[in-house]
Amino acid sequence: MKLYDGRETAAGSDAPGEASEPDRHRVGIAEYAVSTTGATLTTSGLGSCVGVALYDERAGVAGLVHVMLPSATGPGEEPAKFADTGTMLLVDELERAGASRRRLVAKMAGGSDMLDFSTGASIGDRNVQQVRRTLADCDVPIVGEDVGGEYGRSLRLDGDTGTLVIRRANRVETTL
Amino acid sequence: MYVDARLLGTFTELAHDGAEAATRSLTQLTGVEASVDVTKVSLVERDAVGSSLERGSFVGVQFGLEGGLSGRAVLAFEREGSEALVAGLLGGAADESMAQSGLSELGNIMMSGFIDGWADYLGTSIAHSPPTYVEAQGSDLFDAGPASADDQAFVFHSGLQCAAQEVTVAIYVLPDADSMAELLSTRSAESIAVEKLAAFNRMTREGAQTAAENVTLLSGVETEAEVARLSFMPIENVPEAFDDTTYIGTAVEFTGTPSGFLLVLFDERAAAAVAEALVPTAAGEGSLTADHNGAIEEIGNVITSGFVDGWANVLQRSVDHTPPRLVHDMGRALVDPLVAQLGQHQRHAFVVDSRMHTAEFAFEIGVHAFPDERELRAALSELDVDRADQTEADPTAFF
Repeated sequence: MKLYDGRETAAGSDAPGEASEPDRHRVGIAEYAVSTTGATLTTSGLGSCVGVALYDERAGVAGLVHVMLPSATGPGEEPAKFADTGTMLLVDELERAGASRRRLVAKMAGGSDMLDFSTGASIGDRNVQQVRRTLADCDVPIVGEDVGGEYGRSLRLDGDTGTLVIRRANRVETTL
Repeated sequence: MYVDARLLGTFTELAHDGAEAATRSLTQLTGVEASVDVTKVSLVERDAVGSSLERGSFVGVQFGLEGGLSGRAVLAFEREGSEALVAGLLGGAADESMAQSGLSELGNIMMSGFIDGWADYLGTSIAHSPPTYVEAQGSDLFDAGPASADDQAFVFHSGLQCAAQEVTVAIYVLPDADSMAELLSTRSAESIAVEKLAAFNRMTREGAQTAAENVTLLSGVETEAEVARLSFMPIENVPEAFDDTTYIGTAVEFTGTPSGFLLVLFDERAAAAVAEALVPTAAGEGSLTADHNGAIEEIGNVITSGFVDGWANVLQRSVDHTPPRLVHDMGRALVDPLVAQLGQHQRHAFVVDSRMHTAEFAFEIGVHAFPDERELRAALSELDVDRADQTEADPTAFF
């Protein structure tokens, strides 16, 4: 769990009179992060993986999780690796950081069909469907999404505004 | 010597936890936020241990390890970015001597954090020698180690990324062969003889050599095989080992024993140079024509077949592959869906990497295979190491 609340990075980072850059934190695959300070959370190289962003405007709390597979098949797995447990975990952690579940809104991106050699529904599609189901179970509305297609995505979540910027390899950007 | 795949997984997780502890120390001491990108254990030719370092200028802090884990460890810092770490550590700019002692002390504390978890797990102590400061270009940071009959070594590698400053820090631990043998001595149904893994690596090296010769033959661009590496890591770490650079190349699924996926990736400059050599029209960076894409697809097919047919010959198994699919996207995003498909059935993955390099255009071609873990183990258990050089595949069969 990574919680960015401004306490961890204070030591020695800014000399007096120097402009302070906004905090920026990278979320790896099967990881999540929560910000209460307006920090920017980023994750990159989503293929069939899905990035789920949650935001409570009034509490100023935002979070991002990068899930890889729809659901766990055995015990002892990292919860943030899966669409069901990862999304649920992020909802819980945002509440723990001061957000209210009834004010939370969700945005998601990823779940591409690229390079899926399997037959039947692609992993990307199954990831997206599982995130939808879990958010519905938590009564968290999805207010924006950029999913599917045949291309990768990188995400940048502004913890201050809840704005999610999606960038593709061809540098096309979408803002949710 | 045998390695147990589950134990390799355990030690990779210990190394990952150790890298996270080292990262926390780094942040506490310097105020620089950092995260662990990737942790893996690789079997690699001794002189290529540090080959995952880019060709930049690095400073490093070396240690000797003794006790429950004996060997050598190196913390490598990108030289340019290390100045920001030293400034954070010392509260301002520092002269050369202060910077060296500052980095040595930082390395000392990070290394203590790294090995604590190993000592706890092994129920014994691990001591590290005082730090030695070194400066070098890229992989020259590592000496090849003591001469040994064994030309390959296990190395644990963790990559750390400092978010705002974009400083790369890497931790390498090279256990002595005896120490590694002791760590992995448990035999189980999942054990693989190290000599077979080493033979598989040599086979990959042969495959890369053949592929490089084929690229040279077909495109006229002088290409050399550089490195062959067999790595083992948690499945979610596999895409993290790739960057967000845009690549052009081909992807296939191969079926048989083992099954899996294989990617041939050219960076955009490499793709343009090779495609232009094959198709007589100019290509701008990132703006290849359909003909150029077709050329990349064909050369990807030749490289893929060289590897897959080579494995099939040596393993004496039938291994087929799908026609190549042209890919053009971020490296990490291309790898993600392939390993997600494997991740439905396995928690750790073997990754077979080889790299080709052309001096003329200073670009690289990467070949990356992601075999099914259980099937690779099964195939290796039956591998006759004396056949490891019988990888010949004929490029003319594809044109």
